[in-house]
Amino acid sequence: MEFDRRVKLVVYGHFAATGGAPTAAVVSAEVGSSEAEVRSAYQRLSDQRVLVTAADGTSITMAPPFSGVPTPHVVISEGVRYFANCAWDALGIPAALGQPAAVHSECAQGGDQLVLEVAPEGPPPSDWLFHCLVPAAHWWDDIGFT
Amino acid sequence: MLFFRSEERVKEWCEQRGHPLRPLVSISQLWGLASMWYADRLRVDSRRPGPAEMKEVFAGLGLSGEFWNPESDRFGESTGRNDG
Repeated sequence: MEFDRRVKLVVYGHFAATGGAPTAAVVSAEVGSSEAEVRSAYQRLSDQRVLVTAADGTSITMAPPFSGVPTPHVVISEGVRYFANCAWDALGIPAALGQPAAVHSECAQGGDQLVLEVAPEGPPPSDWLFHCLVPAAHWWDDIGFT
Repeated sequence: MLFFRSEERVKEWCEQRGHPLRPLVSISQLWGLASMWYADRLRVDSRRPGPAEMKEVFAGLGLSGEFWNPESDRFGESTGRNDG
């Protein structure tokens, strides 16, 4: 398997197992290479919009749908707590895990609490709504804002 | 990309920030997007959908128009981003 794909799998596997981002040291040990090589892979994966790192090029802030930093969108599944990057990714985590999960979030206007018990087949009927300000063609112009 | 309790709350949020109201998406449609994007994300052969696939996914969920066109430039740089 090519190196970048192995790095991606280790990163995503770590998120799925623990809810958080792996350090570069953990990834380098898993793939058997130097941290510098891992950082280079992070850059290439960022170019492919698979990862987003902080300015240090090492700290993973996003591996969509997972967030490496706390957000208002929390997903709990089989005792593991995850943070999602946005409302879309809050449903993306149960979809990626393929197992039941509770999505906890809030209304952006007023703060009403949202709790969705999501089955592997999807969420129950709900009258909540999703709103995206940025048109699809510009989502990655500034993915943090999107 | 945010959750809202109702259409009225979305409108309030947009008005208070001077943002344009964009197409509203139901939770059912959002699950369709989430599962199309991420159901295979933990697998070896996962990949992000390309522009043509994105259009198909959006159309299949009833999400059409220039807003959902990943190759459109009709919106230019106007993202409504004016609150810093």
